[in-house]
Amino acid sequence: MTGYAGDTVASALYGAGVRIFGRSLKYHRPRGLYSMEGESANTFMSIDGIPNECAETTELRAGMAIAPQNVRGDPRRDRFGFLNAFDRLMPAGFYYHLFHRPQFLWPLFQSGLRRMAGTGVLDLQGDYGTGVRTERYLNADVVVVGGGPAGMAAALAAGESGLRVCLFERRRQLGGQMSWRVRDFEGEPLYRRAEALAARVRAAENVKVLTRSLATGVWGENLVTGFTVGTEDDPFRECHWECRARTVVVAAGCMDRPLVFNQNDRPGVMQVGTAWRLARTYGIRPGKSVAFSVADDLGLEAAIDLDDLGVRVRFIADARESGQQDRAVFQALSDRAIPFFPGCAVSRAVGRKRVRGCVLRSLKGRGSRRFHCDLLVANAGMQPRIGTLATANARLAYCAHTHGYQPTELPPGVFVAGSMTGLRDPRSIEASGRVAGYGAAVWCGDRAKSGARAAGRGPSLSPGRASRAAEAAVREAKALPGPPAGCGIIHAPAIGRGAKAFVDLDEDGTYKNVKESMARGLDVPELAKRFAGFGLGPGQYRVAGQNLAMIMADLRGDPVETAHATTVRPPLGAPSIATLAGPGHDVHKRTPLHAEQAARGAVFRRAGPWQRARHFGDDPSCRDEIRNVRTNVGILDSSPLGKFRIHGPDALKALQRVYISDMRKTRPGSCKYSAMCNDMGQLMDDGVVVNEGPDDYYFTTSSARAGATVEWFRFHTRHDGWDYNLVNLTDALGSLNIAGPNARRVLERVTGANVSNEAFPYLACRRITVGGGVEARCLRLGFVGELSFELHAPASCVPYLWDLLMEAGADFRVRPFGLEAQNCLRAEKGHVIIGTESEQRVTLTDIGMGWMWDRENTVSKKVGAPALRACERQPGRLKLVGLRVEEGAKAPRDGTLVVDGEKIVGYVCTTRSSETLGWQYGLALVHREHAFPGRRIHLCHEEKAGGRVTSTAFVISPHFYDPRGQRLRS
Amino acid sequence: MSWLRPSRLWRAAPLKRHYEVVIIGGGIHGLATAYYLARTHGIRDVAVLESHYIGFGGSGRNTAIVRANQRTAENVRLYDEGLKLWPVLTDELDFNLMFFNCGNLNLGHSEAAMNAFRMQASTHNLLGVKSELLDPQQCADVIPGLDISDRLAFPIHGGLYHPPGGIVRHDAVVWGLAKGASEHGVHIHQGCEVRGIDTREGRVTGVRTSLGAIGCKRLGIMAGGYGSAVAAMLGIELPIHPLTIQAMVTHPFKPFLHHVFSSGAYHVYANQTLKGEIATGAHMDPQVNYTTDATAYYLKHQAEALSELMPALRGVRFMRIWSGLADMTPDMAPIMEGELGCDGLYLDAGWGYFGFKSGPVAGKYMAEYMSSGERPEILRAFQLKRFLEGRYSGETASVMKYGHWD
Repeated sequence: MTGYAGDTVASALYGAGVRIFGRSLKYHRPRGLYSMEGESANTFMSIDGIPNECAETTELRAGMAIAPQNVRGDPRRDRFGFLNAFDRLMPAGFYYHLFHRPQFLWPLFQSGLRRMAGTGVLDLQGDYGTGVRTERYLNADVVVVGGGPAGMAAALAAGESGLRVCLFERRRQLGGQMSWRVRDFEGEPLYRRAEALAARVRAAENVKVLTRSLATGVWGENLVTGFTVGTEDDPFRECHWECRARTVVVAAGCMDRPLVFNQNDRPGVMQVGTAWRLARTYGIRPGKSVAFSVADDLGLEAAIDLDDLGVRVRFIADARESGQQDRAVFQALSDRAIPFFPGCAVSRAVGRKRVRGCVLRSLKGRGSRRFHCDLLVANAGMQPRIGTLATANARLAYCAHTHGYQPTELPPGVFVAGSMTGLRDPRSIEASGRVAGYGAAVWCGDRAKSGARAAGRGPSLSPGRASRAAEAAVREAKALPGPPAGCGIIHAPAIGRGAKAFVDLDEDGTYKNVKESMARGLDVPELAKRFAGFGLGPGQYRVAGQNLAMIMADLRGDPVETAHATTVRPPLGAPSIATLAGPGHDVHKRTPLHAEQAARGAVFRRAGPWQRARHFGDDPSCRDEIRNVRTNVGILDSSPLGKFRIHGPDALKALQRVYISDMRKTRPGSCKYSAMCNDMGQLMDDGVVVNEGPDDYYFTTSSARAGATVEWFRFHTRHDGWDYNLVNLTDALGSLNIAGPNARRVLERVTGANVSNEAFPYLACRRITVGGGVEARCLRLGFVGELSFELHAPASCVPYLWDLLMEAGADFRVRPFGLEAQNCLRAEKGHVIIGTESEQRVTLTDIGMGWMWDRENTVSKKVGAPALRACERQPGRLKLVGLRVEEGAKAPRDGTLVVDGEKIVGYVCTTRSSETLGWQYGLALVHREHAFPGRRIHLCHEEKAGGRVTSTAFVISPHFYDPRGQRLRS
Repeated sequence: MSWLRPSRLWRAAPLKRHYEVVIIGGGIHGLATAYYLARTHGIRDVAVLESHYIGFGGSGRNTAIVRANQRTAENVRLYDEGLKLWPVLTDELDFNLMFFNCGNLNLGHSEAAMNAFRMQASTHNLLGVKSELLDPQQCADVIPGLDISDRLAFPIHGGLYHPPGGIVRHDAVVWGLAKGASEHGVHIHQGCEVRGIDTREGRVTGVRTSLGAIGCKRLGIMAGGYGSAVAAMLGIELPIHPLTIQAMVTHPFKPFLHHVFSSGAYHVYANQTLKGEIATGAHMDPQVNYTTDATAYYLKHQAEALSELMPALRGVRFMRIWSGLADMTPDMAPIMEGELGCDGLYLDAGWGYFGFKSGPVAGKYMAEYMSSGERPEILRAFQLKRFLEGRYSGETASVMKYGHWD
């Protein structure tokens, strides 16, 4: 198959003589080229191996592989075509009343239904979404949706004020419907008028024109999204846009409102715009003998144009009565002697696999007439493309004059223009664009002036002038013709059962199905939509939306004005997941010691935003790392630790509020360990606070809380008006922890400071100089239960410290250790990790940390204190205990349950077989009734039904290792 | 051949001025309660008041996933019974609810997640609910196309597979329950917005609505995301944060995803509907609000997550996004309460994003509660006072933060 530059896949196929493009979902009816903008799934096919691609909107490229989908065999001879005859057995929602009895057969029916449903076939091993997918984020003063005459006029008007304007146009060229109309208007053909406008828009330097760019929706605060399909000249395959706009001008135009008549889905039935664009945009003769059943002047103009092109027009039916037509168009029609039938519409298409004729009926009388034709162009007039407005939350209502949905209330900063407001006169359409463009400029107000000044160019139109221009534009628009009366035809005459009169193409929803839904009591469009699938397919609301609402109002016997359409859901036009996902998006943080650790064989894991070393080498159980810390000396990169400075006259008050201990007791040069609770007394964070001078404190938080701490302080002191400064130093400072009996001996080699136990005792904090120049905070802590020094220094200096310590410790065989070793070491010591040994059901006191609570202090209104008091003596709470698993018993694992018979009474948080202790220990949360030392408890885990593993253990104190803390004080 | 003779699923009943029981909310919870009141407890003088159309709220906006793999025994028991109700209801209602028993796979992306799954799996199996831990390869065997390599930002460490779960056609549940309730005499009034609740001497006496005053002896507030707003009409303040939660579907495809999968780390859950679309839900918007606006952010977020977990989905397009409300409690467990300081007043709220899977079973027990006045044993864990007493249910391990801190 060959095509021409500018062809879409659909136009090229049509040009090559293809008439059946696919098969429908439910009845497997043959389907042809109905629309040109992807308004139904008729032309969905597999293109270059990608399923469900729309041939109408995909531009032809050399070497494309195109295949039909959802057919058994050739689309012209689909083996499931017989389903068409069984529509009587498949009323709306038939599956709700079928297949469930007998129950054991349902899974069988279900898998059959599943196989029948769906269209494209996705290859799970397929390499989809290739090519560059990029994303751009813009700010604009005015976003214009739609590059037709109104959109272009709006962009130019708004652009005059120096505003930044961005215009989204889905098609490859600007001009909208004017770009293929040749009708002479004010001395030149309309397409010339569109070209002239387009040239001006392209020349306007502050108007960014995005063609091949579909706006997918207007979201909250006027965020406009869209995507551009790249050409071979673009650096991307597709580009996702998010444009934050101060104002939005919606000039999305119109599309055909389908005429609902019998067999209206036959290949050869198409929209006015489709036939017209085939002829004018793509240079393809759409048919040899064409019948027109339309309902507005645009349809008549199209028929006249095709006639002028030499296509034989059999007749033109107009659902309006005579006299409602535009006089010039009517005159042109009369000049050409095409049979014209006002007040008539097509009631049936004839032909099975393609249209061979049609039946024409009067809307009032009884007579009918049969015609031969190979193309039937039919609509019920035009309907506005309301999608963009609807996603912008505009209030829409049925307008009985234009017979389309019109906004009754626009959201702030949203303007509407063009043919979607019902206007038809080209001058009126352009004028409405100018009104909207100037209106947007006025809305942007002073920003226009200051923005232009900042950009170094004088505004060509000041805001004052903009509002005068806006007023002039309104006056001008008022003098021009307003919207002509539309046509309110609901469906074609003699619809009968309407069993094959399609309201929705994608899911084969017919007129009969609407009636069936209503008979079931699903009598509002939203319910019928869900029950029978109207507007749920790829075309969404476009084909079915307005007709469904009108038909249901009609069937209820209500006036058509009450027709309430279903909600339009974004995205308008389907963006691909590959494009939305964009390029790689794993945003993580590396510690200052990442490279050093990697060089030593670190295995990294994600921990929150960080990549952290879990262990080094190939032993995930970390025996050597653990033993080395217990008997020698190890180094841990603890840089993700939250690090903060708080200072100012009310710093202490703030600390008193959020920390549960009495923070007045901090002493210069020493660390105070404490915790933060939430209002429920649940543990949120723990760390140390160092008094570094008058009203000046340094404190650490757990890594997980580093990002939330500033907000936490601010939130809990929000009513107090306290004067303090809180600085997050987490990323500015790196830290490492030298731990083990030989830690001091290593540290001594790199610092002149006195780090002896007397001069630098446990829980002391000193500023020391390391390596002859790096000043570091040195904190003597003991999370892993050994003598340890934590060095906090500027992140850029930490690699130097690491190298220094590694070199100094080489004689001791110092080695790094990772998170898993730390986890085991701290658990042996009974130190908790928040979220591992604490959870929603336990408070600070439940996990044995109540000792830090300054319970007499009520003045500070400590966060969580009232809850701690209320829960303190409650029966039935979970408590943290230590476990010693019985010798020889099967080893429990983290997450193993604690049971009492069949009752769950707790679970094991962390358990390991300890080389240091020589037995399997565990930290567990168990019900208070079982939480006393010496209690024998039962452990049970069952990773899979029947795979039960049980063991027994004794409750002991959780401080298994060095319970008196002699080692960390040594 | 009933499917060939369309008749109304539920009657268009006249609005009476007084009912024995009035239920606020024509979603799954309200309709199920009405159904069981009429069918099991013989209380047929029941009206269900719905301000829009039945199933307008969360009942028609969820991703239709059902399961019983919660964290604590109290919850597992309730959801397990709920899960077993789908086939029973399909038969009782003579309406195909299209329960697709495909099983659910929760993906774990860290050792901590796998430990949490171990605790959950053990809890389930101990209670007779099937669940098992899978390693990454087993996960890929269950869900072909899953990327179990370490290319992912959060590589898959394994999963918790729960065979009894699946998906149910959510609208069918609404219509089926409406049909069943109506057949037993319940009146369903759509377009009837409750504007006030009347009490006298500590008893509920009726409601004021857009269609006039309606008297009642017992009142059930089952208004989903709007539950706390309705309770506020009586000055009852509930620990509930309504948050917007979003879901979306792709174009339809021939079946390739035969189970539900979900991932906490990526905030995503997905299944393939009977029609072939991939229905996928996201985490909640962080702000407390009553809007049901979808956001561009979640469309993109979801695309990022799905394309990482299952790279073939890069070839798929999103067709539609929508949102609903999740009424979040601090412990992610519901409030089912009849002791609200006002006789005859009952509340079923705070289901968060678990309101669909729990609908029928919640209705069953709320009906028992409302008919007898005695709190069923299984509902003891869901009392309102637990929040005052600091006894959270432990339904999630982590301490939740919704809206303002805590």
